[in-house]
Parts: sequence; structure tokens; C-alpha cells
Amino acid sequence: MIPSNLSNRLVFIFSLLGLAVAAFLFYEYTYANSVYCLVGTGCNIIRNSPYANFLGISIPAWGIVFYLIMAILALLRSHSSENQFLFRMQILAATVGVGFGIYLTYLELFAIKAVCFWCVLSFIISILLLLSVILGKKNIYENGN
Amino acid sequence: MKTETRILGIILFITVVLLAGGIFFLSKQQSLQEVKGTATVQIDYSKGQKAGPDSAKIKLVEFSDFQCSACAVAESYLKKIRSTYPDDVQIIYRHLLIHESSKLAVSVAEAAGQQGKFWEMADRLFETQSGWSQLSDPTSFFLNLVRELNLDENKIKKALDEDEFKVKIDADMAEGQSLDVTYTPTFFLNGVKLNLHRFEDLDTLIEEELNKK
Repeated sequence: MIPSNLSNRLVFIFSLLGLAVAAFLFYEYTYANSVYCLVGTGCNIIRNSPYANFLGISIPAWGIVFYLIMAILALLRSHSSENQFLFRMQILAATVGVGFGIYLTYLELFAIKAVCFWCVLSFIISILLLLSVILGKKNIYENGN
Repeated sequence: MKTETRILGIILFITVVLLAGGIFFLSKQQSLQEVKGTATVQIDYSKGQKAGPDSAKIKLVEFSDFQCSACAVAESYLKKIRSTYPDDVQIIYRHLLIHESSKLAVSVAEAAGQQGKFWEMADRLFETQSGWSQLSDPTSFFLNLVRELNLDENKIKKALDEDEFKVKIDADMAEGQSLDVTYTPTFFLNGVKLNLHRFEDLDTLIEEELNKK
């Protein structure tokens, strides 16, 4: 376990990293003719697949919304670190993020059969986000009691 | 307000402004010179499905895949080009199968082409893409489109059963690879490969090319 303020700082940093990845992918999805894939060649296959959008909105746009929410929650928690409601919202949002990441990874591996480097990176960041929130859990409850 | 909150707030604000500004700047900065490649490549214009006369001043070759969502978006621009420049632009559709399952769609479109309705079928395939692209066997879906376009269903079925277009598809794929086409849609304007970031630029490039002559 780590102190809740350190956990919150980690959440903030990972949120900004995720935001940068999602914003880059959003640009590549929206304006570029081909996606720059740092490793492998799956990025274009995934962008061109029917799964590139969710509820009519591109996946990177959902990523931007997710990481922005996580960053804002971390910002609010830096003001009141013992706030249980904010902590629960962080847990909920991070779990939804990882859950969605698992779903997208499943689609990549079994439906599209291609792997996009940036999607994997974003998935890893979302896992680190959830871990950072969870690692501060014990601390906040100890402080709260 | 705590100092840490203020600092994190400033960092978040700067990050959001930089990312939004970066996306805006990058989306605007691509000039037409960047869109057009420098080299003119040799393309076999005798192959592919054509819209527009052979005498057209501009030959726009598209390597496309019926199952690719970006190609479906491009199709609406191409439709507009077909109606705006019926005599000046010849659009040549070539197949580059990124998705293995789109092979059946290609065969249906080619079989429709034998009955003079390739473009009508291509339009319908793109329009209904979300309805068939996730089906494990879209044959009956395609046959509905065949009936909708009043095509001879038996001829289409025969062509599909005999895999009549395999050689044609393989030839398109081979030429695409030799031209270093790695994604769809890829366009060549009078033999020059385009690196389009926005399909709207197609119209500008066509106008520019027409004004040259």
C-alpha cells in the first residue's frame, strides 16, 4: 500500500499519459489516412474494422473522455484526499476503463485478429491507473477510521 | 485551495490546451504538396471497374476494401466526384482485401458488374456495411441486395460458386503490393500516390489538376 496522496499523484500522471495516447490516436483516426504504428502493423486494420467506433463515436474519443474524467477526479481528490465519494468514483471509473480495455483486447485478438500497439499501451495505462487507485485504498480507510 | 490542487489544475489545463491545439494545428497544416507524392508510378489502367470515360483528363485509382469503414466514408466523396466531374474524372476501383471476409462482397460486386451494375452494388455494399460485416456468412444478405438491384440471381450464384473472380482479385492484390499500397483506401491521382488526411482534399486536388491542363 502507498500513501493516498502518492496514489493520487500516480493516478494523475497516468491519466495525463493516457490522455496523450488517446489524443494522438484520435488525431490519427480522424485526420490521417494511415495510423502510425510504432510496433507491428495492426493499427490500420483495427481503425478500418467495424469495431473502430462504439455507439457511433470513435474509440480514441472515448479514451479521451475516460482519461479526462480520471484526471479531473485526481485533481478533485488532491483537494480533499479523504473524500470517500471521490475515491469510489475513481475506483468505479478505473474499473470501467479496464473492463472496456479487456473487451477491446478481446476484439483485437479474437474478432479482428490484429493487435494495435497504441491500444495495448492504453490498456496497460488503464491497468496501472486501477492499480494506483487500489494501492491507495487501505491508506484512505486507515486515515478515515 | 491546496497548493497541490492548484499545481495539478494548471498542469491539466496546460495539457488539455496543448493537446487540443496540437490536434487543431496538425489537422490544418497539411498542404496539398504534402498530400501528393513526388513520384508518378505506372498503373495498369486497363484493369479495374471504371466510372467515367477513358478520355477523362484525370484518372483516379482507388484501392479499396468493401469491409473497411474508412473506404465507406470515402465512397460518399467519390459519389460526389462521379456526379460533379462525369467527363473529366475516371474513377477506377481496384480491390485490396484487408479483411479476408470481404472477398465474398468483392465477388458479388464483380458479378453485379457483369450485369452492368458494379457501382450500384458497390454503393449498396458500403451503405449496408455495418449490417453484413459482422455476419459469419453474409451470403443471404448479399442475395437480398442482388434482388433489390433486380440482378439475375442465378448468374450471381453461379459466379460465386465457381469463384469466378479469384484471378482478377489476385491480380489487383498483386498490383497493389507492387505499388506499395499497405492500407485502404489508397488513391492515385494520374499515377501520383496521395497521402490524404481528409477526403475533402480530393476535390481540391482534382480542381488543381484540371486547371493545369
